Amino acid sequence: MDNASINKRTNKHNPSIATVLSIVFAGLGQLYNRRFIKGIIFILLELVLLSTLINAINFGLWGLRTLGTIPGEDHSIRLLVFGVLSFIGTIILIILYIFNVIDARKQAIQIKNGWVPKGFKASIIGFYDNTFPYLMTLPGLLLMIIVVIFPLLFSVLLAFTNYNLYNSPPRSLVDWVGFENFKELVTVPIWQDTFISVLAWTVVWTIIATTLQIALGMILALIVNDSRIKFKKMIRTILILPWAVPAFVTILIFSAMFNDDFGAINRDIIIPLFGGDGIPWLTEPLYARTAIILIQTWLGFPFIFALFTGVLQSISKDWYEAADVDGGSRFQKFRFITLPHVLFATAPLLIMQYAQNFNNFNIIYLFNEGGPPVRGQNAGGTDILISWVYKLTFDTNNYAMAAVISLIMGLIISGFAFYQFRQTKSFKEEGEM
Amino acid sequence: MRNKNIFILLITLLIAVITLGACSPEREDTTNGDANSGNTNDEEANKPEELTVWANDEEEQLEAIEKIASDYEKEEGIKINVVAKSMLEQLDELALAGPEGRGPDLFFQPHDRTGDIVAQGLSQPLEITEETLKNYSTASIESVQYEFNGTNEIYGIPSVMETYGIFYNKDIIDEPQTIDDLLVALEEHSDPSLDQFGFLMMPNDLYFAYPFFKTNGAYLFGGETGEYDTTDIGLHNEGAIKGGELFQSFFENGRIPVSTTNDVIDGLFTEGKVGAVINGPWSITSYKEALGESLAFAPFPEINGQPAQTLVGTKAWMVSYYSENVKWSTDLALFMTNQENQAYYFEIAGELPTNTNALESIEDPIFASFSDQIANGVPMPSTPQMSQVWEPMNNALQFIAEGEDVSSVLDEAVEQIQSNIEASGAE
Repeated sequence: MDNASINKRTNKHNPSIATVLSIVFAGLGQLYNRRFIKGIIFILLELVLLSTLINAINFGLWGLRTLGTIPGEDHSIRLLVFGVLSFIGTIILIILYIFNVIDARKQAIQIKNGWVPKGFKASIIGFYDNTFPYLMTLPGLLLMIIVVIFPLLFSVLLAFTNYNLYNSPPRSLVDWVGFENFKELVTVPIWQDTFISVLAWTVVWTIIATTLQIALGMILALIVNDSRIKFKKMIRTILILPWAVPAFVTILIFSAMFNDDFGAINRDIIIPLFGGDGIPWLTEPLYARTAIILIQTWLGFPFIFALFTGVLQSISKDWYEAADVDGGSRFQKFRFITLPHVLFATAPLLIMQYAQNFNNFNIIYLFNEGGPPVRGQNAGGTDILISWVYKLTFDTNNYAMAAVISLIMGLIISGFAFYQFRQTKSFKEEGEM
Repeated sequence: MRNKNIFILLITLLIAVITLGACSPEREDTTNGDANSGNTNDEEANKPEELTVWANDEEEQLEAIEKIASDYEKEEGIKINVVAKSMLEQLDELALAGPEGRGPDLFFQPHDRTGDIVAQGLSQPLEITEETLKNYSTASIESVQYEFNGTNEIYGIPSVMETYGIFYNKDIIDEPQTIDDLLVALEEHSDPSLDQFGFLMMPNDLYFAYPFFKTNGAYLFGGETGEYDTTDIGLHNEGAIKGGELFQSFFENGRIPVSTTNDVIDGLFTEGKVGAVINGPWSITSYKEALGESLAFAPFPEINGQPAQTLVGTKAWMVSYYSENVKWSTDLALFMTNQENQAYYFEIAGELPTNTNALESIEDPIFASFSDQIANGVPMPSTPQMSQVWEPMNNALQFIAEGEDVSSVLDEAVEQIQSNIEASGAE
């Protein structure tokens, strides 16, 4: 064959021309590279996208920028939704376009260096082999964009508007206000004062309630796993029961049982045993907090118990035998064999427990609606950030401000989670050595 | 790494350019308003083919509305689409569906949402003749009036009213005429160790506790009904303090436990252990079932020798801002709330009518006393600012019940209400 002539021709191939051509219109660069089928597909794709999407995207981006211009006609929140969608769509299109340019340039360089294009079938197979993982993850990626990125972007953007009851569509238009809301959060007393105390209790609640439920679950799992215990199946079934009842039912029942004057706990346990008037579970913040931590411990331990029971089964007996030979005490065996093993295997799940309790809206709201009230404070004694935001949104209907606080909360949590996951990772690598 | 940053920067720039470059869609100038100019009466008089009604999705209510709608269909030849939609969801949906022309002509809302509805521009003011207005009880008409941008208009046709009073157990106590009777009943018929109480009420519910304050001279917002002056809050004046002390006397020395909840009240009352409770018509069915003949109802007892003024809530048919058939929608709403249909609605759904004749013709003794109480009622304020009042005041009532100093508690509560109103973005 005349390999030499092909080389000679292709060596004159100029990557810059391919790049410029594909920037001008997707697919032209590919045509210049003599990849006709690919080029035609790209050209058709761009034509189709241009003719169908350009108006929608133009409208969406216009809405995102202005949030509407005619009150009563333009619905700002709807425009915001369309705008976010168009924004995401635009990014995807731009990335595709950039991919097209990079593809043209890369191939032109390859051709210049004497690469001979494969046949149609071979290139299809090559394409499939290269992109297989991307093709497989594409549906997941799209789903993630729709269910995670889109609502997240929407609520973040909401924090920069003046959307509240007195300024809500369709009668009025919502406007961009920049960092106005954030400024207000630190200057208006009702938010400023309460934020700190609620945040402090949220942290205390998260740490104590979660740690207690993990500790209880672990202790019970260790006890039940002991070889001397009989009726293991029955005990396990009983211990898992609190998990089987829907949490909200349990919480409502507990809320009735903890009632100061009519509840079973004061009436049938505290007063007969200790006398007096019983403990003000629902009316004193300190006791309400104690009660709610106790309830969460009760609700949360079965999961940890089940988790640890499973992991405990997988620890090899040889290790304990070896420890016995070395004269290890019971506590040493727990400290150096059981605990690291169990924690190593469950750390990510345990961290999830902390994150879950940080935002455990159900228990706070159903038990006492965040009560009891505290004088001179906007949130109740047991309100955590999430239940407080809920109250703010639905009592004051200040959606923009609720978005601001959620945003701050999200940042706190993700910082916390990020740090924790980093720690676990290093912990894991250490363990693997 | 740097390359990546430049890449991201480029994309951001591109997007920014495209966004700023995006231009407004071409639209007809609709500032004249096709639906709501109010000058199109002649056109509106043209009979529409059909009207859409959003009715609350409770079974009995829906059944009654469907029957009434089909009567109207026969009478006027307009097709009525009755759509079942929970009252709680109607506003959110209307705000989205209305502008697209998919909304209803009539929707059904409690009157205390009027302020919200008008602020969002969802309903339109109605023109109703004096003649027609006379058929409705005064409190119900007052409740649907609202002042927006300086004009006071009627924003709905009241259909259902409710308030509250005293349910008592005839086996335990006699009808309490005055508030002192309740205190006496509490003294004489209570035995906490047996869970028996002469009278029980919630320590933290402004709705039920309002007569204690109002009848002593306190008020929620200044100004006239529908034209509220939200800067003037009357909950820490002398009357309020007097009312608060009266309220407190019911909880002193643990007469009524401060941890009393709704569940406790309903539970003990239906077990026949409580002499009297405060509640509204929605609990009649379950109370009757449990107590049968022993159950009786009395208007809220007199305070200081005056009939107690309770808060009245109204539910009303409102015409959507986006409806193109205002006249016929109003006509349909009037038809649904005329004497005959309200009597029928009461029979099926058990909700008290607003039409005075229908109200008076009720024979059931309990409902009849309710309609007596309504005569002394004051409509709940319908401004959006009202939603800032409940929580601070409920908390204040709890503190008062727990025995804290009434005047400082009320001062704090009012302060909190004011800052909440400010924080909610009200002008």
